[in-house]
Amino acid sequence: MKKLIGNKYFLLLLRLIIGGIFIWAAVTKIADPLSFAQDVRNYRLTGQLVSFLTALFLPWIELLGGLFLIIGIFPRASALLLSGLLTFFIMLVAITIIRGINVECGCFGTISRRTDFWLILEDAVWLVMSLILLFSPGNDFCLFKCGPRS
Amino acid sequence: MKSCVRDWKNIKNYLVEFQTVVKKTIFNRRTWIEISIIICLSIFLGIVTNLGLIKRYLAGEFKSAFISQESFPGLVFISLPEAEELWSNRQAIFIDSRSASEYSRGHIPGAISIPLEEVQRGNEEILKILEPPEALVIYCEAGDCQTSLNLAKILYQRGYKNLKIYSGGWAEWIASGNPVEK
Repeated sequence: MKKLIGNKYFLLLLRLIIGGIFIWAAVTKIADPLSFAQDVRNYRLTGQLVSFLTALFLPWIELLGGLFLIIGIFPRASALLLSGLLTFFIMLVAITIIRGINVECGCFGTISRRTDFWLILEDAVWLVMSLILLFSPGNDFCLFKCGPRS
Repeated sequence: MKSCVRDWKNIKNYLVEFQTVVKKTIFNRRTWIEISIIICLSIFLGIVTNLGLIKRYLAGEFKSAFISQESFPGLVFISLPEAEELWSNRQAIFIDSRSASEYSRGHIPGAISIPLEEVQRGNEEILKILEPPEALVIYCEAGDCQTSLNLAKILYQRGYKNLKIYSGGWAEWIASGNPVEK
Protein backbone atom coordinates (compact mmCIF):
# COMPACT_ATOMS: atom_id res chain seq x y z
CA MET A 1 0.00 0.00 0.00
CA LYS A 2 2.80 2.37 1.00
CA LYS A 3 4.53 1.53 -2.29
CA LEU A 4 1.37 2.20 -4.28
CA ILE A 5 0.70 5.65 -2.79
CA GLY A 6 4.32 6.56 -3.42
CA ASN A 7 4.14 5.41 -7.06
CA LYS A 8 4.42 8.42 -9.39
CA TYR A 9 2.23 6.88 -12.11
CA PHE A 10 -0.49 6.03 -9.62
CA LEU A 11 -0.36 9.58 -8.25
CA LEU A 12 -0.49 10.98 -11.78
CA LEU A 13 -3.62 8.90 -12.43
CA LEU A 14 -5.21 10.24 -9.23
CA ARG A 15 -4.36 13.80 -10.24
CA LEU A 16 -5.93 13.31 -13.64
CA ILE A 17 -9.10 11.84 -12.08
CA ILE A 18 -9.55 14.46 -9.32
CA GLY A 19 -8.41 17.39 -11.45
CA GLY A 20 -10.58 16.23 -14.36
CA ILE A 21 -13.69 15.88 -12.20
CA PHE A 22 -13.27 19.37 -10.76
CA ILE A 23 -12.57 20.93 -14.18
CA TRP A 24 -15.68 19.26 -15.64
CA ALA A 25 -17.82 20.34 -12.65
CA ALA A 26 -16.50 23.90 -12.89
CA VAL A 27 -17.05 24.30 -16.64
CA THR A 28 -20.72 23.25 -16.37
CA LYS A 29 -21.25 25.83 -13.63
CA ILE A 30 -19.32 28.64 -15.32
CA ALA A 31 -21.45 28.11 -18.43
CA ASP A 32 -24.66 28.85 -16.49
CA PRO A 33 -23.96 30.83 -13.28
CA LEU A 34 -27.61 31.75 -12.69
CA SER A 35 -28.70 28.14 -12.70
CA PHE A 36 -25.92 27.26 -10.24
CA ALA A 37 -26.86 30.23 -8.03
CA GLN A 38 -30.41 28.86 -7.89
CA ASP A 39 -29.04 25.39 -7.02
CA VAL A 40 -27.09 26.92 -4.12
CA ARG A 41 -30.19 28.87 -3.02
CA ASN A 42 -32.26 25.67 -3.11
CA TYR A 43 -30.22 24.26 -0.19
CA ARG A 44 -31.92 26.99 1.92
CA LEU A 45 -28.74 27.72 3.87
CA THR A 46 -27.80 30.98 2.19
CA GLY A 47 -29.63 34.10 1.06
CA GLN A 48 -29.70 35.57 -2.44
CA LEU A 49 -26.43 37.51 -2.10
CA VAL A 50 -24.30 34.66 -0.72
CA SER A 51 -25.79 32.23 -3.28
CA PHE A 52 -24.96 34.70 -6.05
CA LEU A 53 -21.38 35.25 -4.86
CA THR A 54 -20.86 31.50 -4.44
CA ALA A 55 -22.00 30.95 -8.03
CA LEU A 56 -19.57 33.59 -9.27
CA PHE A 57 -16.45 32.43 -7.44
CA LEU A 58 -16.73 28.75 -6.43
CA PRO A 59 -16.62 27.37 -10.01
CA TRP A 60 -13.41 29.30 -10.69
CA ILE A 61 -11.83 27.96 -7.48
CA GLU A 62 -12.76 24.44 -8.65
CA LEU A 63 -11.42 25.09 -12.15
CA LEU A 64 -8.09 26.54 -11.05
CA GLY A 65 -7.68 23.92 -8.29
CA GLY A 66 -8.29 21.08 -10.76
CA LEU A 67 -6.17 22.61 -13.50
CA PHE A 68 -3.25 23.42 -11.19
CA LEU A 69 -3.37 19.91 -9.71
CA ILE A 70 -3.04 18.34 -13.17
CA ILE A 71 -0.40 20.62 -14.65
CA GLY A 72 1.63 20.83 -11.45
CA ILE A 73 1.29 24.42 -10.27
CA PHE A 74 0.95 24.46 -6.46
CA PRO A 75 0.07 20.71 -6.44
CA ARG A 76 -0.13 20.35 -2.66
CA ALA A 77 -2.05 23.58 -2.14
CA SER A 78 -4.47 22.49 -4.86
CA ALA A 79 -4.88 19.07 -3.25
CA LEU A 80 -5.54 20.72 0.14
CA LEU A 81 -8.03 23.15 -1.38
CA LEU A 82 -9.92 20.40 -3.22
CA SER A 83 -9.89 18.19 -0.10
CA GLY A 84 -11.40 21.08 1.87
CA LEU A 85 -14.09 21.58 -0.76
CA LEU A 86 -14.95 17.86 -0.80
CA THR A 87 -15.19 17.80 3.01
CA PHE A 88 -17.51 20.80 2.83
CA PHE A 89 -19.66 19.15 0.12
CA ILE A 90 -19.99 15.95 2.18
CA MET A 91 -21.09 17.94 5.24
CA LEU A 92 -23.51 20.01 3.14
CA VAL A 93 -25.18 16.94 1.60
CA ALA A 94 -25.39 15.22 5.02
CA ILE A 95 -27.02 18.31 6.59
CA THR A 96 -29.45 18.55 3.64
CA ILE A 97 -30.46 14.90 4.01
CA ILE A 98 -30.91 15.31 7.79
CA ARG A 99 -33.08 18.40 7.21
CA GLY A 100 -35.23 16.36 4.82
CA ILE A 101 -34.72 18.70 1.88
CA ASN A 102 -34.85 17.00 -1.50
CA VAL A 103 -32.78 19.10 -3.89
CA GLU A 104 -30.53 18.67 -6.89
CA CYS A 105 -26.91 18.73 -5.78
CA GLY A 106 -25.82 21.28 -8.39
CA CYS A 107 -22.53 19.39 -8.69
CA PHE A 108 -22.40 19.26 -12.49
CA GLY A 109 -24.68 22.08 -13.65
CA THR A 110 -27.80 20.93 -15.49
CA ILE A 111 -26.84 17.23 -15.36
CA SER A 112 -26.78 17.15 -11.57
CA ARG A 113 -28.44 14.47 -9.47
CA ARG A 114 -30.40 14.44 -6.22
CA THR A 115 -28.65 14.78 -2.87
CA ASP A 116 -28.61 11.31 -1.35
CA PHE A 117 -26.42 8.88 0.56
CA TRP A 118 -24.70 7.70 -2.64
CA LEU A 119 -23.55 11.23 -3.34
CA ILE A 120 -21.85 11.31 0.08
CA LEU A 121 -20.17 7.99 -0.71
CA GLU A 122 -19.02 9.25 -4.10
CA ASP A 123 -17.59 12.44 -2.60
CA ALA A 124 -15.89 10.36 0.11
CA VAL A 125 -14.09 8.32 -2.58
CA TRP A 126 -12.88 11.54 -4.26
CA LEU A 127 -11.83 12.85 -0.83
CA VAL A 128 -9.70 9.77 -0.11
CA MET A 129 -7.98 10.17 -3.49
CA SER A 130 -7.42 13.86 -2.84
CA LEU A 131 -5.99 13.17 0.64
CA ILE A 132 -3.57 10.62 -0.83
CA LEU A 133 -2.34 13.34 -3.18
CA LEU A 134 -2.09 15.78 -0.29
CA PHE A 135 -0.04 13.59 2.02
CA SER A 136 1.94 11.45 -0.39
CA PRO A 137 5.61 12.43 -0.49
CA GLY A 138 5.65 11.27 -4.11
CA ASN A 139 3.27 14.02 -5.23
CA ASP A 140 6.09 16.41 -5.97
CA PHE A 141 5.60 16.99 -9.67
CA CYS A 142 5.75 20.72 -10.35
CA LEU A 143 5.54 22.51 -13.69
CA PHE A 144 8.02 24.99 -12.32
CA LYS A 145 10.79 24.12 -9.86
CA CYS A 146 9.26 23.52 -6.43
CA GLY A 147 10.97 25.24 -3.56
CA PRO A 148 12.13 23.23 -0.56
CA ARG A 149 9.43 22.54 2.03
CA SER A 150 10.25 23.83 5.46
CA MET B 1 4.69 -9.43 24.65
CA LYS B 2 7.65 -8.69 22.37
CA SER B 3 5.37 -8.43 19.31
CA CYS B 4 3.10 -6.07 21.25
CA VAL B 5 5.99 -3.74 21.98
CA ARG B 6 7.11 -3.98 18.33
CA ASP B 7 3.56 -3.13 17.10
CA TRP B 8 3.36 -0.19 19.47
CA LYS B 9 6.72 1.10 18.22
CA ASN B 10 5.51 0.73 14.61
CA ILE B 11 2.32 2.66 15.36
CA LYS B 12 4.36 5.32 17.14
CA ASN B 13 6.70 5.59 14.15
CA TYR B 14 3.76 5.91 11.76
CA LEU B 15 2.22 8.62 13.93
CA VAL B 16 5.46 10.58 14.06
CA GLU B 17 5.85 10.20 10.29
CA PHE B 18 2.25 11.32 9.71
CA GLN B 19 2.71 14.29 12.04
CA THR B 20 5.75 15.38 10.03
CA VAL B 21 3.87 15.07 6.73
CA VAL B 22 0.90 17.06 8.14
CA LYS B 23 3.32 19.72 9.39
CA LYS B 24 4.93 19.91 5.97
CA THR B 25 1.64 20.20 4.12
CA ILE B 26 -1.22 21.69 6.14
CA PHE B 27 0.74 23.75 8.68
CA ASN B 28 2.98 25.18 6.04
CA ARG B 29 2.96 28.92 5.36
CA ARG B 30 3.78 28.45 1.70
CA THR B 31 0.77 26.14 1.16
CA TRP B 32 -1.57 28.81 2.55
CA ILE B 33 0.03 31.55 0.45
CA GLU B 34 -0.51 29.34 -2.63
CA ILE B 35 -4.15 28.71 -1.63
CA SER B 36 -4.65 32.47 -1.18
CA ILE B 37 -3.25 33.04 -4.68
CA ILE B 38 -5.69 30.48 -6.16
CA ILE B 39 -8.65 32.07 -4.32
CA CYS B 40 -7.70 35.65 -5.26
CA LEU B 41 -7.23 34.62 -8.90
CA SER B 42 -10.63 32.87 -8.83
CA ILE B 43 -12.34 35.96 -7.40
CA PHE B 44 -10.71 38.11 -10.08
CA LEU B 45 -11.81 35.74 -12.89
CA GLY B 46 -15.28 35.41 -11.36
CA ILE B 47 -15.72 39.19 -11.38
CA VAL B 48 -14.23 39.74 -14.85
CA THR B 49 -16.31 37.03 -16.54
CA ASN B 50 -19.57 38.00 -14.82
CA LEU B 51 -19.50 41.80 -14.92
CA GLY B 52 -22.85 41.87 -16.76
CA LEU B 53 -24.55 39.64 -14.17
CA ILE B 54 -23.08 41.64 -11.27
CA LYS B 55 -24.50 44.86 -12.78
CA ARG B 56 -27.90 43.21 -13.18
CA TYR B 57 -27.79 41.92 -9.59
CA LEU B 58 -26.92 45.39 -8.26
CA ALA B 59 -29.83 46.79 -10.30
CA GLY B 60 -32.10 44.43 -8.33
CA GLU B 61 -32.90 41.90 -11.05
CA PHE B 62 -32.37 38.69 -9.05
CA LYS B 63 -33.96 39.67 -5.74
CA SER B 64 -36.67 36.96 -5.90
CA ALA B 65 -34.96 34.22 -7.88
CA PHE B 66 -32.09 33.57 -10.23
CA ILE B 67 -34.13 33.58 -13.39
CA SER B 68 -32.95 35.31 -16.49
CA GLN B 69 -35.69 37.22 -18.29
CA GLU B 70 -34.07 36.21 -21.59
CA SER B 71 -34.51 32.51 -20.76
CA PHE B 72 -37.98 32.83 -19.22
CA PRO B 73 -39.65 35.92 -20.71
CA GLY B 74 -43.07 36.53 -19.21
CA LEU B 75 -42.44 34.60 -16.01
CA VAL B 76 -43.24 37.09 -13.26
CA PHE B 77 -43.35 37.23 -9.47
CA ILE B 78 -46.48 38.65 -7.90
CA SER B 79 -47.24 39.99 -4.43
CA LEU B 80 -50.18 39.25 -2.10
CA PRO B 81 -52.49 42.04 -3.41
CA GLU B 82 -51.93 40.88 -7.00
CA ALA B 83 -52.59 37.26 -6.03
CA GLU B 84 -55.75 38.27 -4.14
CA GLU B 85 -57.01 40.26 -7.14
CA LEU B 86 -56.37 37.43 -9.60
CA TRP B 87 -58.02 34.96 -7.22
CA SER B 88 -61.13 37.06 -6.45
CA ASN B 89 -61.67 37.97 -10.15
CA ARG B 90 -61.01 34.35 -11.20
CA GLN B 91 -58.48 35.54 -13.73
CA ALA B 92 -56.02 32.73 -13.09
CA ILE B 93 -55.82 29.13 -12.00
CA PHE B 94 -53.93 28.68 -8.76
CA ILE B 95 -51.48 25.80 -8.51
CA ASP B 96 -50.23 24.40 -5.22
CA SER B 97 -46.72 22.99 -5.78
CA ARG B 98 -46.39 21.57 -2.26
CA SER B 99 -46.72 17.88 -1.41
CA ALA B 100 -50.15 16.21 -1.56
CA SER B 101 -50.25 15.89 2.25
CA GLU B 102 -49.54 19.62 2.74
CA TYR B 103 -52.25 20.42 0.18
CA SER B 104 -54.79 18.25 1.99
CA ARG B 105 -54.09 20.08 5.28
CA GLY B 106 -55.19 23.34 3.65
CA HIS B 107 -54.82 25.35 0.45
CA ILE B 108 -56.02 28.44 -1.43
CA PRO B 109 -59.68 27.77 -2.41
CA GLY B 110 -59.91 26.38 -5.93
CA ALA B 111 -56.19 25.69 -6.19
CA ILE B 112 -55.10 22.56 -8.06
CA SER B 113 -52.51 20.31 -6.45
CA ILE B 114 -49.49 19.66 -8.68
CA PRO B 115 -46.72 18.54 -6.32
CA LEU B 116 -43.30 19.28 -7.78
CA GLU B 117 -41.98 15.95 -6.49
CA GLU B 118 -44.63 14.10 -8.54
CA VAL B 119 -43.71 15.95 -11.73
CA GLN B 120 -40.01 15.33 -11.12
CA ARG B 121 -40.79 11.64 -10.64
CA GLY B 122 -42.19 11.65 -14.17
CA ASN B 123 -45.91 11.71 -13.38
CA GLU B 124 -47.06 13.66 -16.45
CA GLU B 125 -50.74 12.76 -15.96
CA ILE B 126 -51.29 15.52 -13.40
CA LEU B 127 -50.27 18.18 -15.96
CA LYS B 128 -52.98 17.15 -18.44
CA ILE B 129 -55.70 19.10 -16.61
CA LEU B 130 -53.97 22.36 -17.48
CA GLU B 131 -54.57 24.26 -20.69
CA PRO B 132 -51.50 26.20 -21.91
CA PRO B 133 -53.28 29.54 -22.68
CA GLU B 134 -54.62 29.83 -19.12
CA ALA B 135 -52.91 32.16 -16.65
CA LEU B 136 -51.38 30.12 -13.87
CA VAL B 137 -50.37 31.32 -10.42
CA ILE B 138 -48.01 28.93 -8.68
CA TYR B 139 -47.32 29.04 -4.98
CA CYS B 140 -45.56 26.92 -2.33
CA GLU B 141 -45.26 27.07 1.46
CA ALA B 142 -43.54 30.38 2.15
CA GLY B 143 -41.19 33.03 0.86
CA ASP B 144 -38.01 31.00 0.71
CA CYS B 145 -39.50 27.77 -0.65
CA GLN B 146 -38.25 26.92 -4.09
CA THR B 147 -40.78 24.35 -5.31
CA SER B 148 -43.02 26.96 -7.00
CA LEU B 149 -40.06 28.34 -8.93
CA ASN B 150 -38.84 24.90 -9.97
CA LEU B 151 -42.35 23.85 -11.03
CA ALA B 152 -42.72 27.11 -12.99
CA LYS B 153 -39.49 26.37 -14.86
CA ILE B 154 -40.72 22.88 -15.77
CA LEU B 155 -44.15 24.15 -16.90
CA TYR B 156 -42.53 26.94 -18.89
CA GLN B 157 -40.38 24.44 -20.76
CA ARG B 158 -43.53 22.39 -21.51
CA GLY B 159 -45.19 25.36 -23.22
CA TYR B 160 -47.07 27.12 -20.39
CA LYS B 161 -45.91 30.69 -20.94
CA ASN B 162 -48.50 32.61 -18.91
CA LEU B 163 -46.99 31.92 -15.49
CA LYS B 164 -46.89 33.91 -12.30
CA ILE B 165 -45.19 32.94 -9.06
CA TYR B 166 -46.85 34.07 -5.85
CA SER B 167 -43.69 34.32 -3.75
CA GLY B 168 -45.45 35.03 -0.42
CA GLY B 169 -46.95 31.56 -0.64
CA TRP B 170 -49.37 29.70 1.57
CA ALA B 171 -47.93 31.12 4.83
CA GLU B 172 -48.58 34.72 3.76
CA TRP B 173 -52.03 33.84 2.37
CA ILE B 174 -53.33 32.43 5.68
CA ALA B 175 -51.50 35.04 7.79
CA SER B 176 -53.46 37.79 6.03
CA GLY B 177 -56.77 36.15 6.86
CA ASN B 178 -57.72 35.04 3.36
CA PRO B 179 -60.16 32.15 2.87
CA VAL B 180 -58.81 28.62 2.95
CA GLU B 181 -60.08 25.28 1.72
CA LYS B 182 -59.41 21.82 3.16
